[in-house]
Amino acid sequence: MDYILNGFVEAFRLIFSFDPEIIQIVLLSLYVSFSSTLYATLIGVPVGILLGINTFKGKRIVSRLLYTFMSFPPVIIGLFTALFLARSGPFGQFQLMYTPQAMIIAQTILVTPVITGIIFNQAGTSGHEVVQTGKTLGAQKWNILILLILELKSVIMIALVTGFGRAISEVGAVMIVGGNIRGFTRVMTTFIAMNNNMGQYSVSIAMGLILLTISFITNSILYHFVMGDQNENRG
Amino acid sequence: MKIEAKEIVKTYQDKSVLTLKGTHHHLVFEPGKIYGIIGPNGSGKTTLLKIMAGLIPMSSGNMLYNNQSLTHQTMTEMTYSSHSPTLFSRSIYENIAYPLRIRKVDKQMIDDTVNGLLAEFELNKIQTQNAKHLSGGESQKTALARALSFSPKVLFLDEPTANIDPKSIRIIESALKKRNHHDNLTVIIITHNLSQAFRLCSHLIFMDQGQCLFSGTPEEIMATSDPIINDFISYNRF
Ligand SMILES: Nc1ncnc2c1ncn2[C@@H]1O[C@H](COP(=O)(O)OP(=O)(O)OP(=O)(O)O)[C@@H](O)[C@H]1O
Ligand SMILES: [Mg+2]
Repeated sequence: MDYILNGFVEAFRLIFSFDPEIIQIVLLSLYVSFSSTLYATLIGVPVGILLGINTFKGKRIVSRLLYTFMSFPPVIIGLFTALFLARSGPFGQFQLMYTPQAMIIAQTILVTPVITGIIFNQAGTSGHEVVQTGKTLGAQKWNILILLILELKSVIMIALVTGFGRAISEVGAVMIVGGNIRGFTRVMTTFIAMNNNMGQYSVSIAMGLILLTISFITNSILYHFVMGDQNENRG
Repeated sequence: MKIEAKEIVKTYQDKSVLTLKGTHHHLVFEPGKIYGIIGPNGSGKTTLLKIMAGLIPMSSGNMLYNNQSLTHQTMTEMTYSSHSPTLFSRSIYENIAYPLRIRKVDKQMIDDTVNGLLAEFELNKIQTQNAKHLSGGESQKTALARALSFSPKVLFLDEPTANIDPKSIRIIESALKKRNHHDNLTVIIITHNLSQAFRLCSHLIFMDQGQCLFSGTPEEIMATSDPIINDFISYNRF
């Protein structure tokens, strides 16, 4: 059992040694997951709002598909992305396989349904009422979109953090399309998986702690926004 | 604006909830009058009002606004407010200012208008409070002030005084009368309060089971011999 305790001791030593390789890995993880969350937000928020507030044939099927994709295993998404990006695949000419760009693409595919689904759900209920109310007050399409984004602000925040959480914590997709190449596509999760395989528990634990801290910070920021909103509502 | 509802039918999954046919298949709302829609629960009042306000589509029939079908322009001249309004997550002041802000009205003008409405509806003490956390009556008053802020030509109201205390009911009724009198505002109001209908309306419409059974003055409705209407009125006597 000693190795667990030693692992933690070693972990703290590693964290505070500010090893450039570790820093680079952390920064790459943040870059990849922030980018994919950003793209997923740009797609997911408007699509979720549009699907949610409109009634159309096949809406039920769309929502079922969306919820299925929300919980799709990252490995499958990785595999799917790899098929398209591989040298012989339809987008092979761009030579994206085993690059950070490939990882961003895969994670964007992973996160977009999560963000779309959360927004879709809320837009269908309270969003619809906002649209109706906007119309009665003379709002044009553009005014209504702005109104919706403002009114759904806290849900958008929740969707964002949930999406980011899914991106930063997944291994399957980045492993397949990134390949865990040292100094190039190695991110926190693939680093942990690799070191764990090699029996180097302390570095795994160290990176695990960093990952946890980052999740904690993003969640705190969310909490601050959502709760801050409610305090403002009370005052 | 003159509004006409002709042979309106609304069905939800084969269930017919509104059918304007027979004697009163063609309802006409003249500009500058106050109309009351009364009738039992589930008789189709809200459905009719929302169709007229352009909020839900009709299954068949014809709506005319000054002899034309509904346009974006017409939508910006009418408004709708209900007993459970959707207010925006911002201050009461900003909720009332919203219709003016999207119309790009001059700042000073907005401030004057909103302050006037806040005072009129006795909301000035709580004007900075977020409108998501108001009592039922405060919400309704805010929604009504917001609806009136841009001086619409037509106001559709669905039980606007349902949660309101007696004093505030008087405030709301005089606000409506005042605008009807001075600005020629057309009001079409659903109410379960017959004495309110008699105080406000020059014309009443009685709905039952998706049909319009009566359309005429308050005096005429009191004199009718229709047993359904008489029965409905008798419960409102005390
Ligand atoms: N979205 C809907 N889907 C199915 N049926 C509906 C829907 N909306 C209303 N109805 C039905 O239409 C009928 C008329 O409803 P409506 O709300 O117009 O009644 P109302 O006269 O306003 O009643 P109340 O006095 O209780 O407000 C009711 O039987 C109601 O169940
Ligand atoms: Mg109703």
